[in-house]
Amino acid sequence: MQDKTILEVKHLSKKFGETDVLKDIDGTVKSGEVICVIGPSGAGKSTFLRCLNLLEKPTSGEVNFEGTDLTNVDDKQLVKLRERMGMVFQSFNLFPNMTVIENLKLAPIRVKGMADAEAEKTGMHLLGLVGLQEKAHVYPSSLSGGQQQRVAIARALAMNPEVMLFDEPTSALDPEMVGEVLEVMQKLANEGMTMVVVTHEMGFAKEVADEVWFMADGYILEKGKPEDVFDHPQNERAKDFIGKIIQSV
Amino acid sequence: MKKRVKAIIQVIMVIGIFLTLGIWQTTQADAADNSLQRIKQRGELIMVTSPDYPPYEFQVNKNGKSRIVGMDIDVAKKVAKDLHVKLVIKSMNFDSLLVAIQTGKADMAIGGINPTTTRRQSVDFSKIYYSGGQSFLINSSDVNKYKSVKNLRGATIGAQTGTLQYGLAKKKIPNSTVKGMDKSTDLVLALKTHKIDALGIEKPSAEAYVKNDPSLKMIPSGYHLDKNEVGAAIAFKKGSDSLVNAVNKSIDQIKQQHLTDQYLASAGKYMKVNTVNTSMWHYWSYFAKGVEYTILISIVATFFGVLIGVILALMRFSKQKWIRGLAISYTEFIRGTPLMVQVMFVYFGIGVVVNIPALISGMIAVSLNSGAYVAEIIRGGINSVAAGQTEAAESLGLSKRDMMRFVILPQAFKNIWPALGNEFISLIKESSIVSIIGVTDLIYQLNIVRADTYRGVMPIFVAMLLYFIMTFALTRLLNHYEGKMKHAG
Ligand SMILES: Nc1ncnc2c1ncn2[C@@H]1O[C@H](COP(=O)(O)OP(=O)(O)OP(=O)(O)O)[C@@H](O)[C@H]1O
Ligand SMILES: [Mg+2]
Repeated sequence: MQDKTILEVKHLSKKFGETDVLKDIDGTVKSGEVICVIGPSGAGKSTFLRCLNLLEKPTSGEVNFEGTDLTNVDDKQLVKLRERMGMVFQSFNLFPNMTVIENLKLAPIRVKGMADAEAEKTGMHLLGLVGLQEKAHVYPSSLSGGQQQRVAIARALAMNPEVMLFDEPTSALDPEMVGEVLEVMQKLANEGMTMVVVTHEMGFAKEVADEVWFMADGYILEKGKPEDVFDHPQNERAKDFIGKIIQSV
Repeated sequence: MKKRVKAIIQVIMVIGIFLTLGIWQTTQADAADNSLQRIKQRGELIMVTSPDYPPYEFQVNKNGKSRIVGMDIDVAKKVAKDLHVKLVIKSMNFDSLLVAIQTGKADMAIGGINPTTTRRQSVDFSKIYYSGGQSFLINSSDVNKYKSVKNLRGATIGAQTGTLQYGLAKKKIPNSTVKGMDKSTDLVLALKTHKIDALGIEKPSAEAYVKNDPSLKMIPSGYHLDKNEVGAAIAFKKGSDSLVNAVNKSIDQIKQQHLTDQYLASAGKYMKVNTVNTSMWHYWSYFAKGVEYTILISIVATFFGVLIGVILALMRFSKQKWIRGLAISYTEFIRGTPLMVQVMFVYFGIGVVVNIPALISGMIAVSLNSGAYVAEIIRGGINSVAAGQTEAAESLGLSKRDMMRFVILPQAFKNIWPALGNEFISLIKESSIVSIIGVTDLIYQLNIVRADTYRGVMPIFVAMLLYFIMTFALTRLLNHYEGKMKHAG
């Protein structure tokens, strides 16, 4: 079971006009794995993550999700496959016109055709998981950043995804709220969720990640177990980057 | 891209013009004359007039009911009676009377129309049923200044737009400035407030005004005119010989029996009734009806305007280039042409193909117009929704439709609520333009009350107040809902 490949990226590249943002990326994510992607600002981490669920269309290369190349399917199929990948954004992106529970219920009801009562039940269960059951009927604007991000995680989980993609989920938060979100993510990892996490939280990466990928200039320059990447980086740029981060902590 | 859009718009405009011209031609070429037969079959004779020209035709309020009366109406009644059909009266701006005939909105136009050579090119005329003669109205205070028409040299002269008086003043009074307005009531007011020095008007009308208003005096025009320039005749669509002949028989009788004297006398009586009670309260039912229609048109136009606006806005986000182009062309075209022209186009232009009643035409035109503006507002609203919302919805696997319906549009509407509110408010005000095709909205009623009471300013003030009450009430209502929405978000 551990060995089942969920995502496989081959020779992925992405250009925005003339600028090469992703140059030649390869990588495999197996079921139950937690991958942390680190790297300097502008390295292309967000772009890479967004290419995984085709929010951004790759210029060339393959993105295989459970054996299907997403770059080669029509829009309808893409929507179908995308619902099985959850995504959590830096800026939460909750729907402000709906209450918390409505945020959680919308996609299961509209996309999966789930009955309202069932969606409500799973929604409440997931809110329990992120510790926010009592906030079910308020609007997102009345929540703190940390609470909003936990709701966003619950919303993505409501679609029962195969893999969760996180793009710097804690960098828009006040420091005192970072912990509660990381805690939820750690809980998810422990339960065996497959996750790709772009993050600057080295502590989390060290403790939770199965693999750390270091990205810079549109390449993945170093890949390995966290202790290897953090303690004995091979690549010069990785050494430099990790050195700076450890200094600043 | 810009060039292409322009090209598309041009193509659409050209097609539109040819289409209407084509339709026009075909209806005009309708050869067989069944004009009389059609009316007899229908059992109704539809006449159109501009009831602000006493004693020819004007509105009176009798026993709380508004009626159009006057010499012309009596003539028309006699014609209908002789044809053994019912008379149906439609009212419209004088400017639009002949167009209404050409486009088949009515069987005949009657309204003190002089059968000039120019007009004979576009419509047929009956025999002349009355010869009034031309005259000028001046202020009593100016009697010494303007003893005769010779003194009017270099003066500012007013006349109803599209009338013979307008053309005559231009041609025959040297160095004069001629000011045209739609309503003779406005012209009388302009005269009394010295915006104009004299008002070119038919003699019977002038006499009516002088009788009811001591501050006005009449001087004869002194024009040497042929009978087509002094007489009034009934206008018909070209090629209605059978109808014209039948009507001429009635006119012969009218002349033999000198019936117009009788008609003028009874019109005079109505005018006396009319000046007894000119308080605005007396006319509340007029204003109420006007408010009712204005609100009705605004509500309908708001509903369909939003509907059209949403559709157009969504078309702008379509993947298909031609759908986007269509929406852009429509919006640009509507925003680039005046509402007044659009109203006339729907009523007269499209009316050639299908006969749409004035009220419905007005509603259609205002809705189509509002739709273009609402579309732009909604488009702005959709663009104002943060990009992250789209991404979040996409990442959850929502379809484009569901994303619009549940995520983007509700937020867009909240953002644009104030702008949309402004659009609704301006709709109440701008819908006033439909009065030109005879829809009995507040402006239309206002003009009737003015014609009826010989009071120029007071009815305007009342209408202004009523418009303000409507818009202010709407503003408060919208603010209330805006507050509610803020609460929810
Ligand atoms: N839509 C776009 N159009 C043009 N350029 C873009 C676009 N999105 C990203 N870029 C560019 O691509 C490069 C990589 O951006 P990306 O957001 O992937 O970096 P990142 O590694 O996530 O950085 P950060 O840590 O700041 O989030 C940047 O130079 C950015 O300016
Ligand atoms: Mg980023």
